[in-house]
Amino acid sequence: MKTELTISPQRINEIALSEHQAISEKTGAVVTFSGIVRGQEGESQISAINYESFDKMVEHQFKLIFSEISKHWPIESIRLVHRIGTIKVNEVSLWVEIIASHRKEAFAACQYLINEMKNRVPIWKTPIKR
Amino acid sequence: MKITVRFWSYFVDLTGCKQTCIEVDQGITLGQLHEQVCEQFPKLTAAKNSTLKVVDVDYQNSNFVLSDSNEVSFFPPVQGG
Repeated sequence: MKTELTISPQRINEIALSEHQAISEKTGAVVTFSGIVRGQEGESQISAINYESFDKMVEHQFKLIFSEISKHWPIESIRLVHRIGTIKVNEVSLWVEIIASHRKEAFAACQYLINEMKNRVPIWKTPIKR
Repeated sequence: MKITVRFWSYFVDLTGCKQTCIEVDQGITLGQLHEQVCEQFPKLTAAKNSTLKVVDVDYQNSNFVLSDSNEVSFFPPVQGG
């Protein structure tokens, strides 16, 4: 299984990323997910979120999750980009792409990846109020 | 032995520092170190039960026995995405 992980303060360019899909003759499904910064956190209106990460551990934990996915589902490729730093409302904070032969495993792996990320990958958010 | 302890997220505000070096006895467990750190930085006590405990880059439980090459991190629940 191919994997590509990017943790960066750079703006996520979904169009550019989609132009580099690693599609093969076996590919039957490409699932992508974009996480967008909402304008509301709880009761507060916000203008942005500041994301902080423990980079070395982030990489390690994502690799563990990728490895678990490869054992559970026949996935061809995973690409994940998580932006850090200050991200404005309506901008993309997370982009995930899962490529597989069938949609069932692609959706399942995507859901698992995001759920596990939220449980154990050390990234924290600080909302910036309007 | 000396253990480097790092804090992340709002734990930096609660402790007033990103990291500290703590002198501990050989054979100390991660849980015992956590107790010691909460005594030194009492504002962490309220978050004690939800604190995530890490040795180097892996989560560990309170019974993990530390060695002097370990770097410990304490932080609140994560929120990626």
